[in-house]
Amino acid sequence: MTHLGIFVRRPQVQSLSFIVLLFAAWEVAADTELLRPYQFPAPSTIAAAAWETATVGFPEGVRLSTHALVTLRRVFEGFLLSTAVAIPLGLLIGWFPVLDRLTVPVITFGRSVATLSLLPLVIVWFGTGELSKVLLIAYGCFWVMLGNVIAGVKYINPVLIRAARTMETNGVELFTHVVLPAALPRIFAGARVSLGVGFMVIVGAEMIGTIRGLGALIMEARTYYRADISFVGMVALGVLGFGLAVALNWLERWLLPWNRGLEDIRR
Amino acid sequence: MRASTRWCDAALGAMGSLAVLVLWEVMARWGGADPSIFPPPSIAVVTALHHVSIEDLLANTAISLQRIVLGFALGASLGVVLAVAGGWYHLLGNLLRPVVELLRPIPPLAWIPISIVWFGLGESSKVFVIFFAAFFPVFTNTWKGMSGIDPVLLRAGQTMDVSGPSLLFRVAVPAAMPDIATGLRISWGLSFGVLVAAELIAADFGLGHMIMNARELGQVDVIILGIVIIGIVNLVTDWAIALLIRRHLGNWHPT
Repeated sequence: MTHLGIFVRRPQVQSLSFIVLLFAAWEVAADTELLRPYQFPAPSTIAAAAWETATVGFPEGVRLSTHALVTLRRVFEGFLLSTAVAIPLGLLIGWFPVLDRLTVPVITFGRSVATLSLLPLVIVWFGTGELSKVLLIAYGCFWVMLGNVIAGVKYINPVLIRAARTMETNGVELFTHVVLPAALPRIFAGARVSLGVGFMVIVGAEMIGTIRGLGALIMEARTYYRADISFVGMVALGVLGFGLAVALNWLERWLLPWNRGLEDIRR
Repeated sequence: MRASTRWCDAALGAMGSLAVLVLWEVMARWGGADPSIFPPPSIAVVTALHHVSIEDLLANTAISLQRIVLGFALGASLGVVLAVAGGWYHLLGNLLRPVVELLRPIPPLAWIPISIVWFGLGESSKVFVIFFAAFFPVFTNTWKGMSGIDPVLLRAGQTMDVSGPSLLFRVAVPAAMPDIATGLRISWGLSFGVLVAAELIAADFGLGHMIMNARELGQVDVIILGIVIIGIVNLVTDWAIALLIRRHLGNWHPT
């Protein structure tokens, strides 16, 4: 009895049993049609739909893996495009205070523009193809990245730069050996947030004018009254987003070992 | 000295913004582009106001704001209540936290199709999606605040015979307030992006619908005006929320 008491008091046991209980209740409620099955498909139905989308595909022939890869590819292309522009521009703006003051209002406004509000404009300019989606993602990622690169350079400990100058490090060498490594942790933080933004934007961008990609999958499934497949797409997006965050964390620890001390302090 | 540098900053900022506008104007006027596709800003604003009336603009802005305020208020208050309760009562926390963590990685926009299935095309589906978007940042930040409370504060409270609900509301919640405030601001920004998307995909009114409709009518000027208005409303409301938070919430913290 006391053993059971201790067992039940463990937080992991409580959490897990509650989740199992929720899923069981959902399953029962859907099977007994307490919840309308087309609105709340049972977990077992969703699992079957996951198998269907993974093997047969939805629409037929376009498998879940294809949808996921298309989405990932768009996010990465947009992200890389934004990074390629934001890093050099941010280093420049962060290094020269005059440039910083000149651009503050433009950057503030650019960041406030809701990325998806650009969707109609981008469609008029570039059509509904891949380019439009990649550009939208790039826009969303760009401002987060730019802000972080600028901050990374602007808030470098001046002692580092003075120390480097005393040792007669100047020009390009100062930049590549001191400024860039010192700014990298912030740049990496920017990369993480901006990938998150890209991941959010893509779902909206894919809901219009395409049938490939996870956003398109959940939207198409709704049109055909297949809410179970919509759920599959949502779970896939969640898993992908989660996996991406974990991978980035791991990459950061591997690439930026000098930042580890900081990270530990922050926690 | 300080006032003069602030003036200098403002002047430089204005110059920068003006430069961008002039660049756009020059590129559009003498770059050989079709003005109905890439209009210069001076012409875009004037022709856009021919296509939509000021009353329509105001009505669309009002309905968008109404949706976002409603969804945000619901999502944020549920987020604060659940995270405060879960952070205080451990059993409740152990039950709630994993469920939230399971749902959190799903991007808020992915809920749009399912919210249409649940609530139809009316107001409630839009409010629901915003509710969802607003909930998570508030919940996670409030949770962080609740679990990061300095135990000395709580013990000091207990020594002075403060316990139970009054310990929660007079010591714990105020101590977590800065984190709650952070969550509220993040949520507001997120809600805004989500609102536009929800209106683009399925709506009959609102700023998002206005620009999507303008695309079908080929009125690029209206699209541009709409984007600018959405940006300005976002900027102004974010600024107002920051001000409110600084005045009323976090004022016993130096940050």
